[in-house]
Amino acid sequence: MSLINLIRSAFRSVAANKLRALLTMLGVVIGVASVIAMLALGNGARAAVNSTFQFLGANQIQLGQRSSMQEGQFKPMGQKLTYLDGLNMPDVVPLVEHVEMSVGKTIRARFSRNTVEIAASGVTADALENLNNQKVQPTNWPTGEPFTSLDFIGEGRFFTQEEVLTGAPVCVLGHQTALDLFAGDNPVGETIWVERTRCLVIGVLAELESTDAQNRYKSDPNQALMMPISTMIKTLFDEEPSVYMTVHIRDAERIDEAKQQISSYLRERHQIQKDETGIYLDDFDMTTRKDILGQQQEAARTFSLLLAAMATVSLVVGGIGIMNVMLVSVTERTREIGVRLAVGAKQKDIVSQFLLEAILISLSGSLVGIVTGVLVIPLAASLNNGVALLLPGSIPLAFGVALLTGVLFGLYPALRAARLDPIEALRYE
Amino acid sequence: MSISSTLGSHMAESVIRTESLTRMYQMGNNTVNALRGVDLTVRHGEFVALMGASGSGKSTLLHVLGCLDRPSAGEYWLEDVKVSSLKPNALAEVRGHRIGFIFQNFNLLPRFSAWENVSLPLAYCHGKASSSIQRARAMEALTRVGLEHRAGHQPTELSGGERQRVAIARALVTQPAVILADEPTGNLDSTTGADIMKLLSELHGEGVTIVMVTHDPLIARHAGRTCTMQDGLLSEGGSSHEPY
Repeated sequence: MSLINLIRSAFRSVAANKLRALLTMLGVVIGVASVIAMLALGNGARAAVNSTFQFLGANQIQLGQRSSMQEGQFKPMGQKLTYLDGLNMPDVVPLVEHVEMSVGKTIRARFSRNTVEIAASGVTADALENLNNQKVQPTNWPTGEPFTSLDFIGEGRFFTQEEVLTGAPVCVLGHQTALDLFAGDNPVGETIWVERTRCLVIGVLAELESTDAQNRYKSDPNQALMMPISTMIKTLFDEEPSVYMTVHIRDAERIDEAKQQISSYLRERHQIQKDETGIYLDDFDMTTRKDILGQQQEAARTFSLLLAAMATVSLVVGGIGIMNVMLVSVTERTREIGVRLAVGAKQKDIVSQFLLEAILISLSGSLVGIVTGVLVIPLAASLNNGVALLLPGSIPLAFGVALLTGVLFGLYPALRAARLDPIEALRYE
Repeated sequence: MSISSTLGSHMAESVIRTESLTRMYQMGNNTVNALRGVDLTVRHGEFVALMGASGSGKSTLLHVLGCLDRPSAGEYWLEDVKVSSLKPNALAEVRGHRIGFIFQNFNLLPRFSAWENVSLPLAYCHGKASSSIQRARAMEALTRVGLEHRAGHQPTELSGGERQRVAIARALVTQPAVILADEPTGNLDSTTGADIMKLLSELHGEGVTIVMVTHDPLIARHAGRTCTMQDGLLSEGGSSHEPY
């Protein structure tokens, strides 16, 4: 029998029992829909992780004070990571090129009668270079056009390495902060009050915009007040704060070696002891892009296993449903099979006919499942911090798996139909 | 004409020729000899009625002749092809191309229109022919049985007689070597049954070879020749020659 005839015949048989076919499809629908939705969740999570950690270059190590869970909250462990730890590092650790450092504090700034409360940051002289990587760009910047850290400066200049080292009382304002304090006048050269310290405004940042579509923190890059980290520690902190560092190393290939060197350096400075099992009780944490990717891959693997288990269970249940209905169908249509055999159908014709019907049910189920899955993605996203992204490859995958289910679970009923004795089949009441 | 005397000499003319055809069944611990050495020759254009009491083996013989069953021993030639030694797929080919079946209970596919039922054998044997050609041939066969105006109707919309006519059209559509009819009027009232027998007689008149199983001597009278099965053995003649 020609394939077109077979397909036509399969459609007709399935359509003859619409409700039964629909109920049978349900297992496949649920299986396929969950595959699509879960893959979208995994894909969305991966995209979010990638975009969040993109700023961390391959030659960079994030360094911060370790904290541990104590009495239900995170508390810093051991000694703080200090400004001097970072300052001396490039001189002592061979693989370290330079160390970018920052501290933050919410402060009150005042000029004349205007006051703002703002999250100020104490940073090193290279802070603007990192803005580049943080999905921030000057407003209305032409798409694709490269820009340098100088393009972030609207008025005046950024502070120098010298000013950082000496703790000069200078600051650079964000575009909005400048407007709030100076109401349109040029702030450069004016002196403002930062808490109880006088501070010379040496520059204003250009108006900036976030290029991160998923800017989940909704922070405004124009609300900023930056001053040399040393100045900030000296004037705004009562006690030495713990500094957050981004260590730039000379050779991305030797990042593991660099981590070793930094560990040795900090262990010596902080006089870190080993515990009874011989492991150092470090009070700092280092993170590289490789670490993040590794954790992400680990999470993705666990997720995939869970997904595979769920998909397998629902598709097996769906497949058993298909097999059950096909067995019933073979019994109901025993006489028809006898007639077909009598008028010249070969066993393979009967196998093809019933197999195609099973495949038709599972493929229709997968089609409905794909649509349901795609429609469910926004719902899944709302349950997952807005992160779910349709993985295009999941559609052919779902289709393929449904096809396989139809073939696997339709084969036995189809073979049973083909092996019927034509005489017995013709006599069947 | 004797049953076996024509063997050999009329080989070319014979449509069906069997030699010591045997069919045994195992039923539990018992062996049932349904056919015990049947020699039968049917020549082109003959209309043969197979009579016999139930359990005499006439249906078994028809199934073997129709290649739905295979003999336990003995030989069977259909138009000089030794079908008794063919494999299942080849037997299916023979059924599709060379044999047309008419059943007591019509055996039409529900939900398929009359013409679709008629074209079913073509779909299996002449699958490469386009569906329009298949449909044209089905319509031709339906016209032959006088049902072209009912071509689009499903079996449930047809009377018993019409259904059997559709079944006859289905048997004719491949222009088979022989039509095997199993109690073709068994499910019909006498008037309709007579119509069907008239149609079969007409087909016989046009040269179609027919082998018909019946237990009704009245029906068997339409055949040109009657053979009787008894306990798995075939003998020439039967009740059709007897007064009724």
